[in-house]
Amino acid sequence: MKFRISAVSLSYVVLVLLFPNKSAAVPSYSRQTGLSCASCHYAPPELNAFGRKFKLEGYTFATKPEVSEDKKDHNSSLHLLESFPLSVLFDTSFTSTKSPQPATQNGNFEFPQAASLFLAGSWGSHVGSFVQVTYDSQADHFTWDNTDIRYANNSGHLFGKSLTYGATLNNNPTVEDLWNSTPAWGFPFGSSNSAPSPSAAAIVNGSLAQDVAGFGGYTMWNDHLYLAGTLYRSEHIGGSQPNPGTGFGFNVRGIAPYWRLAWQSSTANNNFEIGTYGMHVKSSPNAVTGLMDGYTDWAFDFQYDRTIPRWKNDVLSFRGTYIRENSSLVASFAEGAAAVTSHHLNTVQGNIEYHFGTRFSGTVGYFDVTGTADPLLFAQAPVSGSANGSPQSNGYLLNFSWWPQQNIDLAVQYTAYARFNGAGTNYDGAGRNAAANNSTYLLVRFVF
Amino acid sequence: MQRSAIRISSSMMFCLALAFPCYLRAEGDAAKLYKANCAVCHAADGSGNTSSGKALKAKDLRSDEVQKKSDAELAEITTKGQGKMPAFGQKLKPEQIQALVSYIRQLGKK
Repeated sequence: MKFRISAVSLSYVVLVLLFPNKSAAVPSYSRQTGLSCASCHYAPPELNAFGRKFKLEGYTFATKPEVSEDKKDHNSSLHLLESFPLSVLFDTSFTSTKSPQPATQNGNFEFPQAASLFLAGSWGSHVGSFVQVTYDSQADHFTWDNTDIRYANNSGHLFGKSLTYGATLNNNPTVEDLWNSTPAWGFPFGSSNSAPSPSAAAIVNGSLAQDVAGFGGYTMWNDHLYLAGTLYRSEHIGGSQPNPGTGFGFNVRGIAPYWRLAWQSSTANNNFEIGTYGMHVKSSPNAVTGLMDGYTDWAFDFQYDRTIPRWKNDVLSFRGTYIRENSSLVASFAEGAAAVTSHHLNTVQGNIEYHFGTRFSGTVGYFDVTGTADPLLFAQAPVSGSANGSPQSNGYLLNFSWWPQQNIDLAVQYTAYARFNGAGTNYDGAGRNAAANNSTYLLVRFVF
Repeated sequence: MQRSAIRISSSMMFCLALAFPCYLRAEGDAAKLYKANCAVCHAADGSGNTSSGKALKAKDLRSDEVQKKSDAELAEITTKGQGKMPAFGQKLKPEQIQALVSYIRQLGKK
């Protein structure tokens, strides 16, 4: 019974956290810089070279009036935006799956699916933020969402080349990253929170989002080499303090290091990035003492954005990542929540997107997850479970977005599964096929 | 013993962090203004040779095209913006913009 609850909880966490709606195009940045959304984004939240630079330099670039006083003698300086950097996001959506989930109505209208407030902008000459709180209609409350508060300094030099360095306080591994090939800001940029989604996810692939707090540093050398690292501890939103661990699947023991290394190269019409990232976590499920599960994720990613001058500067984007997770589930095994201790999980995600100016974009994405079969970790349950204990899921995503204005997104998305939680047919042991979870998702998003 | 070592290394890191700004060379106000407002696209040397500068096709401030413009023209572009370049007239005072124009002239001589 214990492991069944654990599996259901895991599925819920994965449903909510694996595919959260991602919204990093924040109008308060536009109000601060005097630049349009398209100056930083191919299509929100996809950052172009200027958007990456803006983020790298701590969200501080501004052209609008400030309350300011320069440093003099032993007095401190002050640089405050005259306009408070507040923004609002409103998502409303409709989801329909090919077959209804048992005992539920199909054709799910969420008004809103989510509504967010952002504190996003410069806090001073070197400090800025992306802070998001989100109202979730299913939970019916506001909760803390993605957060990245950073200090940045662009005045360094190393070996005669420019060096930008900084520090970040954040709550989601990869949320501080500059590219859209890593999980926090990866495709899909909006998705249903009511359609079933696969149970298995690597720990760096959203499993710890908004459930940890981390402090780290980063640097960009010569506009080419990016190096970053963050140390995380558990920080359960809504949990009691000090953390007793009960009720939470991941309780970081010690510190969990995250690392990132990337190389980028840019010309007027080409932006290319290739990199690696990863994370090591020791965790005790539902406890802060005793046996631990260990996870080590190694990942590689790339992104290529090609601007096509002959086609009115349309942009073609290619993005992909591969994540290899090795885990030793000693604590879960002892609790009866895993049948074997040694596991692995392979995740492949890739997508191609064509941007017709800033008005339309079409994306084709592919995903594939394979790994160690475990009938206890991936237990049998209707819809969310696996009859054979395999985490294998794969399929494709199609997304078409229309931006009548740069801050309004009307999107239609189709997700299709060839395999879901281990099989194509009767994957849950209750007669449901993978294709039954194919979903059509309509999204209307306003940010202002 | 281990705690002492942690305390000593923490103190050393704190001192290093405090001392680090001393290594940064003293900069004039114009250079600071340039770094804070212009270098993001035009690069520290004015070349525009940054990823964002290339994407936005930022001008090489050292080029004849830019250096042939009068001070008044450069000040007006900085104040009102031009093309993808935003206007800085609301943020910067006229004397700060003049200082930036002078700094752009210096870049042209390097």
